[in-house]
Amino acid sequence: MGETEKSCQLELKEIAHRYDGKIVLTVDHLPIERGKIYALVGPNGAGKTTLLHIMSLILRPDQGHVFFEGERIGQDESQRTHARRSMTVVLQNPYLFNSTVRANIGYGLKARGVESAERERLIQEALEQVGLKGFEHRKARRLSGGEAQLVGLARGLVLKPSVLFLDEITANLDVKHVGQLEQVIMGINRDRGTTIVMTTHILSQASRLAHQVFSLFDGRIVPSGMYNLFEGKFWNNRQEQYFDTGRAQIHVARDIGEMERGYISVNPEDIIVAKERLQSSARNVFKGKITKIIEQDGSVQLEVQSEETFRVQITRLSFHEMGLTLGSQVFVIFKASSVHVL
Amino acid sequence: MEYIIEGLAKALELIFSLDREIYGIVGRSVRFALTATLLAALAGVPLGFVIGSKSFKGKPAVITLLNTLMALPTVVVGLLGYAFLSRKAPLGFLDMIFSPHAVILGEFLLSLPVITNLTVSAVQAVDKRAYLTAQTLGASRWMVAWTVLMEARFALLAAIIAGFGRAVSEVGSAMMLGGNIRYYTRSMTTAIALEVSKGEFGFGLALGFFLLAVAFSINILFHYFQVKGR
Repeated sequence: MGETEKSCQLELKEIAHRYDGKIVLTVDHLPIERGKIYALVGPNGAGKTTLLHIMSLILRPDQGHVFFEGERIGQDESQRTHARRSMTVVLQNPYLFNSTVRANIGYGLKARGVESAERERLIQEALEQVGLKGFEHRKARRLSGGEAQLVGLARGLVLKPSVLFLDEITANLDVKHVGQLEQVIMGINRDRGTTIVMTTHILSQASRLAHQVFSLFDGRIVPSGMYNLFEGKFWNNRQEQYFDTGRAQIHVARDIGEMERGYISVNPEDIIVAKERLQSSARNVFKGKITKIIEQDGSVQLEVQSEETFRVQITRLSFHEMGLTLGSQVFVIFKASSVHVL
Repeated sequence: MEYIIEGLAKALELIFSLDREIYGIVGRSVRFALTATLLAALAGVPLGFVIGSKSFKGKPAVITLLNTLMALPTVVVGLLGYAFLSRKAPLGFLDMIFSPHAVILGEFLLSLPVITNLTVSAVQAVDKRAYLTAQTLGASRWMVAWTVLMEARFALLAAIIAGFGRAVSEVGSAMMLGGNIRYYTRSMTTAIALEVSKGEFGFGLALGFFLLAVAFSINILFHYFQVKGR
């Protein structure tokens, strides 16, 4: 057994799921390693929540298999319940039971038969962890959105799961609560080694928190990041093929056949930034202005506002040598063959 | 008018003199209705939960049937009960006819559709995320079911109270299955029917006051739980 297989805590193989007869999710292989944070990013309807529900064993896929701790999880309800007790899902807008904060947080412990004194101790610990000490007797339904989300998280954390699934939990929260939640997420991964799988549509949050980001689009995990994802229509004129986003026309290399509408993406690493227009073989050249600069892990991500907004990734050295700043006029250049037709 | 005033005076006299027969009838009626309601709740709440929470073929037909049974005439239940329980009937060997058990059975059959149907509505009104949340927190099937019922507790209490209301106020089946036997199966409704027909208007009116008081209390409770559940 290889090292990767050994540390693989959760694994999805050849998954397909349908709603109303239509395939909404297909995943050939998705390994989740122990102790890491994963982010699933993608637009609404991309299949993030469906994938999260399959991974967390809430939903049975129509096809394919889920493996947890090396064991294939079948249809047997007791096996699924047993495996589910090692995981917890915190939902966006968590449903809080119509009782007190304490009863909500203690629910999962009760399901596991934890005795009341120990339950009380763990509830207090979880409340402290999310910064809601003293809230135990409050009516759960009377909490603010941010407080309810924190109770939802505490209810998950108190179970000390080995895998924690977070479904868009910072959506609709104010900045203060988002920061607080992110600190808690990073803390439990660091201190307890909890594997975390989170869905988010905030790309900066995904890259800030996750060791690995999976991009989902139209029910599939796509190779490029979700940056530079465009919707539009294809058209061609004998020699060249284009993708029209409505604001920009992008050359594509792939034969688009009969396709009319669709999506494309361009990997940020495949885009060149130049201060002047270059004579090159690249078919796509757009003039724009730098509107955002993000430095991380030895590289720099630039957001360039042109006919479309492009995300570009360059090395820190290139960034400093070119003397780029916010507002700098630049050209973004990429080959037609770098355009992925989705 | 004089007739009504005399009846009213007699009724008040019976009530304030703590007439043993009146209070005996009231106690018996409430006891019958409570027993029938308890049994109907034990059967109707789980049944309503299953119908309300599961998807199955013919579910709309089952709900339509329950709606129809809610309006089932009490005398029809009495008639059917009599057909099965009378001496020569298939269940005659149980020797239940004209006994408190037969009255309770009739009231049980009348309140069961009420409790079941209102439980279906109560369960269907529970947020679907309650099931999902309970599951994700590791609850077993039984615990998920219990949690959903607890989430609907105020509506369920209202359903049970409505079932009690149906049981305590019915007259047809109690008359036909209980036989209106004094000190044995005579309830408020059957006694009112009998006493008024005998010309004992005051006695009937006194029992009518109690029946109204019970109905009023039921409605207050019903309203209280409905408001609390919102």
